[in-house]
Amino acid sequence: MASDIPLNWFLYFAAASFSIGLVGVLVRRNAIAVLMAIEIMLNAANVNLVAFWRYGNPPLGAGPLPGVILALFVITVAAAEVAVGIGMILLCYRRWHAADVDRYDSMSG
Amino acid sequence: MVQFLFLVIAALGLLTALGTVLARNLVHAALFLVAFFFTIACQFVLLEAEFLAALQVLVYIGAVAIILMFGIMLTRNIQGDDTTIVTAAWRIPGLVAGLCVFVILAFGINSAVAPAGHSYWSESNMRPSIAADAGSSKATAVRREAVNNMARTVGNELMTRYVVGFEVAGLLLTVALVGAIALAHREEAEPAAPSRGEQPARRTSASPQPQAAGPSLVSSGASPPR
Repeated sequence: MASDIPLNWFLYFAAASFSIGLVGVLVRRNAIAVLMAIEIMLNAANVNLVAFWRYGNPPLGAGPLPGVILALFVITVAAAEVAVGIGMILLCYRRWHAADVDRYDSMSG
Repeated sequence: MVQFLFLVIAALGLLTALGTVLARNLVHAALFLVAFFFTIACQFVLLEAEFLAALQVLVYIGAVAIILMFGIMLTRNIQGDDTTIVTAAWRIPGLVAGLCVFVILAFGINSAVAPAGHSYWSESNMRPSIAADAGSSKATAVRREAVNNMARTVGNELMTRYVVGFEVAGLLLTVALVGAIALAHREEAEPAAPSRGEQPARRTSASPQPQAAGPSLVSSGASPPR
């Protein structure tokens, strides 16, 4: 390939996506929106993992695709996290009749 | 050409991420999130990890987005969609925090730090070739095999080198399945969730329909069932 994509571009894209997801976690009030922003951050981390796998040379004992396997595990954990998170949000919604995170203040003094 | 394609996909990804964060309507936010997942899959294709791109589409768009949609439908806000963004007093610190994190990450990407004997990774403009020419080494052949037959290689790796992580991931998924069902299981004695319309109370006065959710309900009415 004559003009390949520099590695930095992927990293900048991932950093920007991560920052947007962080802003979403901090700014949004609905619990499901917060969960979506967390998903954005996890995906940004996945892009970083795969980019470093493709552009770097893995060490000898790591096998042919360490970054891809790690991204696979991240996807697995994210799926489990969303399932449990939605269950907890439904439970809280049933108890407080709201899905806003600032309403769940039973333990705040 | 590839660079132009990357720029288009990255711009679309950032726009859809912004749409997910900023959209007031939660359903619109979820649809933006689906588009964002798809652009991430496109990034994986650009990085020659097609198996991971297929997995991204299957797991994220096929499962996670649908679960989020179900969550949105089941927890529809009674007051409407106006309360999904916090007040302006919290918006500015959130934006400042995100901007600071991006600046720090960009500084880390720019500053060239390399272990001894390696070139600076921030200056790597060309990915390692996997072409099958005469001068290719054994590592290149291994990588070419991994890229061209990624599904088979991932399966072999999961069954040999990463078998412990694979088992732990399976256990985690089982626990998450059981836990989600246990969390969302509705007790029979619990009063029904308030419906949107003005329905007559189906039960007797022992379990009155809750009024509009207010602070009094949180403080006094809702005692956690043990």
